[in-house]
Amino acid sequence: KQHLVAIGESGEVRRAGAGEVRERLGWLKRRLVEERRDEVVDLGERLERARE
Amino acid sequence: MSSHYADSKALLDNRGYAGRTIRGKNPAELFERAVLDRITESYFWKEQCFGLNEASLCDRAIELRFVGGTYGQGKPTPFLCLALKMAQLVPDRDVVLEYLNFEEATEERSSDDERNGDQETQNGAPLCEKKGEFKYLRALAAFYIRLAWDPVEIFETLEPLLNDRRKLRRAAKEQFTLTTMDQFVDDLLNKDRMCSTSLWKLPKRSDLVDLDKLEPRISLLEGELDDLDASDGELGEGDGA
Amino acid sequence: KFWDEGDLGDLETIDDTDDVDPEGEHAAWKLREFTRIKRDRDALIAAEKEREEVERRRNLTEAERE
Repeated sequence: KQHLVAIGESGEVRRAGAGEVRERLGWLKRRLVEERRDEVVDLGERLERARE
Repeated sequence: MSSHYADSKALLDNRGYAGRTIRGKNPAELFERAVLDRITESYFWKEQCFGLNEASLCDRAIELRFVGGTYGQGKPTPFLCLALKMAQLVPDRDVVLEYLNFEEATEERSSDDERNGDQETQNGAPLCEKKGEFKYLRALAAFYIRLAWDPVEIFETLEPLLNDRRKLRRAAKEQFTLTTMDQFVDDLLNKDRMCSTSLWKLPKRSDLVDLDKLEPRISLLEGELDDLDASDGELGEGDGA
Repeated sequence: KFWDEGDLGDLETIDDTDDVDPEGEHAAWKLREFTRIKRDRDALIAAEKEREEVERRRNLTEAERE
């Protein structure tokens, strides 16, 4: 059982409630949308440059 | 209890276990011993699951790219590792429902509850479900609910997902296959083994209906069932409840 | 990185993008849903038949006893 002991220091993890989870998911969603938009912009720029 | 121990030692040691339980038992017992060992030995469990709480678990879960149990040489999927993490946390009921049904409220939509029925393409096929936006997180929550909740709650909470046709990748022994949310959930409700985990035996749905604990399920296709009856004569009087 | 190692093999060859073909995907779902309904109905009918059969036999034996 040594490996189980090695998994981590014992320590408490604070619980999160539904409100915090919802906020987190909203934030993650917005971040994802932004990333995708940036990708599209990147692609657009690259195409632009390729055309020049 | 407002915290749990990050250390899985406490989870896996039955004698000392003092955390939340599921049906009176240590949640780790939902999984098979050999599978548990595989999970807790995995890199993903040690490096990516350590110290997660209900909120930070989302960061991992939205990056899931497939469902499944163990695959290849018995390696546990991140999906299965996160399922164990959920079992370790035993999140509050409304947290699990948030995982299952999260949708981002945007201004033009937020007041429109009947939205799913309205989102139609020209040819009449509705676009995909937008509830449970992160579909692999939704699948994870569904799997957890099947393991951890009570029969009536399981049917009531999971059956709406039978209308979710979104595609899911699934790790099988040697390769990846494609399934869908509705198929995955139907399997959860009907099979006795999923994702390398034995599912505890549910009472029959019809028995719960007979006991007045559950309403009969009304399919979205109820109106079109005549077509089914017409195409299959012996079903003519099948609905005699 | 997020994943253990590289043995994800053919993962990328499997496309899980939704609404590529909404009509086709909806039609496929309908077929699955119909199949489920039929399965559940058939199971109900079978259970009902079995109950009737048990009932019938019980009546038979009582009648034979008299």
